[in-house]
Amino acid sequence: MDLIEATGITKRYGGITALSDANFRASAGEVHALLGENGAGKSTFIQILAGIVRPNGGTLNLNGSTFRPGNAREAQAAGISAVFQELSLVPDLTVAENIWFRREPLSAVGMVRKDRERQATLDLFERYRIPAPSPDREVRRLTLAERQIVEIAKGLSRAPSVLILDEATSALPPRETDWLLGLATQLAEEGMLVIYISHRLAEVRQIAQRITVFRNGATVATHDTSAVDDDTIIADMLGRRMDRLYPERISTATDRVALRLRGLSVGSRLADIDLELKEGEVMGVAGLQGHGQRELFQSLFGISRARGEIELWGKPSTIRSPRDALIGRDGIALVPEDRRSHGLLLTKSVRENLTLSVIPRFTRFGLLSKGRERALVDEMLRTLQIKAGTPDQLAGTLSGGNQQKVIFGKMLLTQSRILLLYDPTRGIDVGTKGEIFRLMRDLAAKGYAILFYSSDLPEIVNVADRVAVLRNGRLAATLSGDEISEHRILREAMFEARAA
Amino acid sequence: MSRVLARHRAILLAYLGMIVLLVITSFFSEGFLAGSHLRTMVMLSAFIGIVALGQTFVIIGGGIDLSVPWVLNCAAVLVTLMANGSDGPLLYAIPIALAGGALVGAINGFGIALFGVPPIIMTLAVNVILQGGILVYTGGAPTASAPPLIQYLAVGRIGPVPVIVILWMLLAVLATLLLSKSAFGRYLYAQGTSATVAEFSGVPTLRVTVLAYTLSGLTAALAGILLTGYTAQAYLGMGDPYLFTSIAAVAIGGASILGGSGHYIGTIAGALVLTILTGLLPALNLSNGALLIVYGVVILVTVSLASEALSDFFSIIARSIGRKRDA
Repeated sequence: MDLIEATGITKRYGGITALSDANFRASAGEVHALLGENGAGKSTFIQILAGIVRPNGGTLNLNGSTFRPGNAREAQAAGISAVFQELSLVPDLTVAENIWFRREPLSAVGMVRKDRERQATLDLFERYRIPAPSPDREVRRLTLAERQIVEIAKGLSRAPSVLILDEATSALPPRETDWLLGLATQLAEEGMLVIYISHRLAEVRQIAQRITVFRNGATVATHDTSAVDDDTIIADMLGRRMDRLYPERISTATDRVALRLRGLSVGSRLADIDLELKEGEVMGVAGLQGHGQRELFQSLFGISRARGEIELWGKPSTIRSPRDALIGRDGIALVPEDRRSHGLLLTKSVRENLTLSVIPRFTRFGLLSKGRERALVDEMLRTLQIKAGTPDQLAGTLSGGNQQKVIFGKMLLTQSRILLLYDPTRGIDVGTKGEIFRLMRDLAAKGYAILFYSSDLPEIVNVADRVAVLRNGRLAATLSGDEISEHRILREAMFEARAA
Repeated sequence: MSRVLARHRAILLAYLGMIVLLVITSFFSEGFLAGSHLRTMVMLSAFIGIVALGQTFVIIGGGIDLSVPWVLNCAAVLVTLMANGSDGPLLYAIPIALAGGALVGAINGFGIALFGVPPIIMTLAVNVILQGGILVYTGGAPTASAPPLIQYLAVGRIGPVPVIVILWMLLAVLATLLLSKSAFGRYLYAQGTSATVAEFSGVPTLRVTVLAYTLSGLTAALAGILLTGYTAQAYLGMGDPYLFTSIAAVAIGGASILGGSGHYIGTIAGALVLTILTGLLPALNLSNGALLIVYGVVILVTVSLASEALSDFFSIIARSIGRKRDA
């Protein structure tokens, strides 16, 4: 018998249909992957399972009987634990306090038993071999990856019979990703149902026994993983066959140096980086989480203070703030890591977001020319094929992929020819990913110089012309041509080179 | 058209509320809708509206200006002292008082944007410093009476229309131009929505913050100068009512108190609503103390009615009723 059996689930938000016909069956003891493009309805569906959203129609059974959770607590009580992509931790509380939030062990007079809470946390970490930070650390001091792990630990602490992981590896570095994939398999073997949502097909293949694909709010198919190839899955997701995810890599690098770094250092986290980025080149930046990638990007955009020399197109330059970086054609533009809190004004229109960095381009005597702004906006909507109803639609209502396209448009309008892309495909559907990679190659061919970091290593391997590998804040190696492989990058990122 | 309505729903609500309030008040108080009485009300609204102009810019940008009462008071005292009852010295007295207000605003802005002092602390401290300064300067004594020119600006009329209302409308046009049509306005909304995104986008945040607070200092000082013409002289504490009313007018006008949204056109309705309220309450025959209590409560309720939080609350209730029907 299936543990979860959902038939014909529908959900509407006002006039928008999020789910029109979602069907899903999964049994205890399997890892079941849920795939689909952004906006396909995956998130809505798992929010229904988790009791956060109530469906308009359809039937949902858990263990053979009707299941209609009124809120998240009821779903949790029924054994469903969900770890969402948007993290829900309280920054001011410690790791342990977050995990047991509102379920704290209490003493007779209602005080929290800190010692027990701490011990329960350690036991939990031990049982699942969770690579988590100390229970006493404040969540605000943790990296995104550490927070994600705490979130997973919190999900496990309820000893659920169904564990939902939504894009859980998108924030994790390789080693922690391996841990999570192993854990999912182990949990399934112990009889749990793990519902696994990811845009990374390789991971899904590694752990899932079955795959259900959603498209446009409806279930397209459920496959046995071993009996289906990648092209079929992608075709199910897109509704068509995609040529290929990664564009052909034709080097367009010239001899002209766009960005030259000498002895760039940020505190103790980035030390003595010497780097040359050429016109027309896509350079990948790789390394284990927290080995200086973020500091490198931030210092080049003027967010962290750096020592050392930066030359843009042969001219020495000091970058103390994003305003120093965004200086038009000879400047630097950034696609930031966190698109929702660093990249976009979610409550403002697509139009206002696109042009925020280039207001002087359509201003005369301090007054805006709406006509010239409109021309810039239309140009970007067209070239990037941003799917917005009108330019006045609020940015927060777009799908993740389209939000990221708006950020790309905003960056391209600045006319900067040096681009910093920090994890530009994080949490984005496979169709848009392909578009972004093609755009990167097109821009390189036009003479842009691109520095590119991704938390998904295969992307760097398949897109970059050269790869700079960071280890402990230092440049461990610069790889090019045939040297670029996941294996080689990981080796450089983890181990000191041995003397030959 | 419907999209425009949806986007400016909060502002329309403010005007709707104003009309409802006007109708209610006219029931309680005979002659309330008479021409002369309406004119007085619009004049009184103008003082609130002018102080609230700068406050609107500051709040949209994500800040708050608590220094308006004593900026207003200082400008009033300075002008009357310098002019000493005659029009001649106003030639330099008014520019000096306005420049002083702008300077105090700029100091607020620099303290907040450059040194990271929280807006509440920065402007509150400046307010107290100004209060102390003016006490020391005047020794607490009342000042000379307002010169005729200022009295004309505050209570005079051109035909049936008060001069101050014409002045107010000119300022409203300027404010609308700045908010809707200028680069500064665009930056201000962006910064109020998310200071981080604004910084990442290359918005000149220092300049924008300083300019917003400078405007606030300027309009508070202007209101102070004009107010001496209405009360015939400057006195200590004359600015105190304008702290609450300037903020309340902005909030009633549909701006989010957290920044990023709102418009001066809404603030105008807010100023009118507040003045009508002050007119309504005496009609109920209450004692002075009771009057203040009712005033405070009414403002609290009005502002929360206008705030997004409450309209969210109502839509949640509406939705849960709808859901029960589904089930």
